[in-house]
Amino acid sequence: MEAMSDVKRQGVENRGLSPREGPARLYDVVVIGGGPAGLAAALGARRAGAKDVLLIERDKRLGGILNQCIHDGFGLFLYNETITGPEYAERLIEDVGRGGIRCETGAMVLDLTADRVLRVNARSGYRLIKASSVILAMGCRERTREMIEIPGTRPAGIFTAGSAQSLVNLQNIRIGNETVILGSGDIGLIMARRLTFEGIAVKGVFELLPWASGLERNVRQCLMDFGIPLELSSTVVEVRGRDRVESVVVAGVDGDLRPVPGSEREVRCDTLLLSVGLIPENELSKRAGLELSPLTGGAVVDETLMTSVPGIFSCGNVLHIHDVADFASHEGFAAGAFAARFARGELLPAANLRVAPGPNIRYALPQLIRPGTADFDLSFRVTRPVRACRVLVRGRSSGKAYFKKRYGRLLPSELQKIKVRPAVEEDLEVECRE
Amino acid sequence: MSDHSPVDRLTCILCPVGCELEVRRTERGLDIQGHQCEKGIEFATEEVLYPKRNLATSVPVKGSATRLVSVRLSDRAAREMIFPILAEIAKLRPEAPIRRGQVLIADVLGTGVDVIATRTVE
Repeated sequence: MEAMSDVKRQGVENRGLSPREGPARLYDVVVIGGGPAGLAAALGARRAGAKDVLLIERDKRLGGILNQCIHDGFGLFLYNETITGPEYAERLIEDVGRGGIRCETGAMVLDLTADRVLRVNARSGYRLIKASSVILAMGCRERTREMIEIPGTRPAGIFTAGSAQSLVNLQNIRIGNETVILGSGDIGLIMARRLTFEGIAVKGVFELLPWASGLERNVRQCLMDFGIPLELSSTVVEVRGRDRVESVVVAGVDGDLRPVPGSEREVRCDTLLLSVGLIPENELSKRAGLELSPLTGGAVVDETLMTSVPGIFSCGNVLHIHDVADFASHEGFAAGAFAARFARGELLPAANLRVAPGPNIRYALPQLIRPGTADFDLSFRVTRPVRACRVLVRGRSSGKAYFKKRYGRLLPSELQKIKVRPAVEEDLEVECRE
Repeated sequence: MSDHSPVDRLTCILCPVGCELEVRRTERGLDIQGHQCEKGIEFATEEVLYPKRNLATSVPVKGSATRLVSVRLSDRAAREMIFPILAEIAKLRPEAPIRRGQVLIADVLGTGVDVIATRTVE
């Protein structure tokens, strides 16, 4: 406890090591977070030759959010079959266990400095850890009612979809009898089906945008299968009820996403679930002083997934929101391999070429590339549903096409991953044109 | 479902790519467009003629600090069997230890698929 208050006293201004804190144990690679990205990152680092790999997980068990995702659809890319979240987690954890990786659960990283010192509150007490490379894999948080400012009373019965998922799937708690879901994110859609299975009526899913924000497959198998209505361009404008939610007022929205006066209607329910977006969890990243992107909410990274602070890497939902766990793991394996190389002392020149999002592209990642890089992964998301389109990765000076592909349809809900083959010698722009 | 309309617009749910399929009933059988892989044909045929689903839920465990064990079907079953199977699963009170993949109900309701545990409970 005394050591913890030391951290508080030091604040951000004076974060050097105090003699009372040291000495720090040195690891080649330290991974923060034991979900699909972090587990893969630890494996990736080990397979790339890192000797001393430590994975730190805040929860009492590894697996992260996979443990509560009991539905299937995981593993299609990593294991070539469809399994559930807990199965996917156990397989990765078994690989990590066989891999000679040290895992510490019930341990929380309180602070991370730019020179890669971690202040950790573990089961054994407070201690310092120094890492040649650090991999950030802390995942994300859900947006809350407060963040979207729904007016009305403050009764019990309002949950984020993910917290409801944990209560129902892990803790065996009945969260209500009649539910309205605001937002059509994947977790909200999955929970619509899950609550239906538990005998809880789902009165409808209301989505602000004119399209569903979750995957198409989830709209079909979680809503349409059970006749649950999905109302697009609509939102909850008021919560009613004193002790417990008694109803919500829903209304249509106009092209500027503002409620249309006169379209309000009351829907009786005792529970409101929110599935209104995820936010990368970058509190530690901010303490390390690394540059964040306003477009992704995560770190600005180069093609090796290294952030603006040398030796600190980022992957999974803390970097940008993924819709498929397999992609988060894929990024984790890559970050692990690059982090192992950095830990060995393989220094690369500065990444000074920029990758910018062009027409219809919300963001492209990585944001920075080293001159001469070829065969690298590039992720992007479109801003709106686009049909019969062509995606072009274009050199900003030469106009050269580094990648082009036709798509029948691209949706904002679907993160796209492409491989750019030619060596890059200029700034790039990713564009999508109909 | 619009099983009787001349054009059925489906989203393939076999993987997260989610291909948009158009299925037309013709005299020669089903005409399927929009799939990016062979699974799309298999999916559209099945989805229009006899839809199948997997399902996942969790059941209380006896003899462990872990409260629940999550379960699924070993393979997809006819969609109309979802609720009858859920009612069978609701009767389960398996005892720890349970290993991942352990069969908790074999050939549930004669569907040919098993209810299996999806996690290990010590």
